[in-house]
Amino acid sequence: MTARPKILIVDDEPDYLAIAARIAAGAGCAVLTAPLALKGVELAEKNEPAMILLDVGLPDISGFEAARRIRAIPALSRTPIIFFTVRSELDMVTEGLKLGAAGYVIKPFDPDELQARIKAAVFPAPR
Amino acid sequence: MKPAASCVTSSPAALAFLKTALEGFRLKFHPSAAAFLKARPRGLAVIDSSLPDMSGRDLVSVLRGDKRTSRLLLVLTGSGPYSPAAAALSLENGADEYFTFPPEPRLFRARLLNLLARAGPGAAASEKPAEYAFGPLRISPEARTVSVGGKRIRLTALEFDLLLYFLRNQGRVVSRTVLLEQVWRQGLEAGPRAVDKRIEALRSRLGPFGAKIRTVFGLGYLFKL
Repeated sequence: MTARPKILIVDDEPDYLAIAARIAAGAGCAVLTAPLALKGVELAEKNEPAMILLDVGLPDISGFEAARRIRAIPALSRTPIIFFTVRSELDMVTEGLKLGAAGYVIKPFDPDELQARIKAAVFPAPR
Repeated sequence: MKPAASCVTSSPAALAFLKTALEGFRLKFHPSAAAFLKARPRGLAVIDSSLPDMSGRDLVSVLRGDKRTSRLLLVLTGSGPYSPAAAALSLENGADEYFTFPPEPRLFRARLLNLLARAGPGAAASEKPAEYAFGPLRISPEARTVSVGGKRIRLTALEFDLLLYFLRNQGRVVSRTVLLEQVWRQGLEAGPRAVDKRIEALRSRLGPFGAKIRTVFGLGYLFKL
């Protein structure tokens, strides 16, 4: 039995953080959480999670900026990142996807969809 | 003119279905939301509800929320058994039509054609692409940039218009008179020799690609790939 893959969830809204954490745990992941972007970057560097769920609208720095910093860490340059946000402007979505996001989920999210995306990113289908 | 549709799906089965059901359409396939958004969508789009990077429903609501894309015709296709709730939610999110996959091909085709017809000739016609790609040549009419094999090529405004005119009329012989009217737009004062000189300049700037602009003796020019 291998260790459960780690997932990092960064969101400043406690309710969403709790729901996302429960969904990720249900997908078979060990969950790490951070309420702020900078804390998230720090945790990511220390723990090298298998994937990251990142809120875009965080109070300290934006999720996009956090993603850029995470990408700059060599061990995390290819870690799947899924952005989630309540603001669903076209330019933001385009920007997020351009950053190489593994996905973009708009809040309030569909739990089944989020779980499916987590599973797809953490347990990629064998080729 | 041919009806056109962008198809956003990563499913080979959906792709095969769309090719058959929409035979005669000008189709463009995009495997993800990211690829679709990058192509600056226009006209009609058929969107798979489960895309690798986003749900189709989220994509539809994002497109509806932006004035550049709010007037797109959006058709969502879902998978699994038909669910009235999923269909209603898709329409509430702004989709014009919703089908569970695979839809009945004739019904699907007819609904799409009706949507296009109601939207008017602008939407039904093949849209002008944001960027033309011909082998190694890329030309963006909006940004007014040209590159061959990834290398940016600098053209004067007139040379750019000339190249764009050729691309939009490829396979047709265009006379010097037509070029003077359509590209120079100042009547025939410039004279046919001015056309020849400009085309020579354009050819040399395009490098090997310049040979695609052929001289048709006694008639004018022909751009053909």
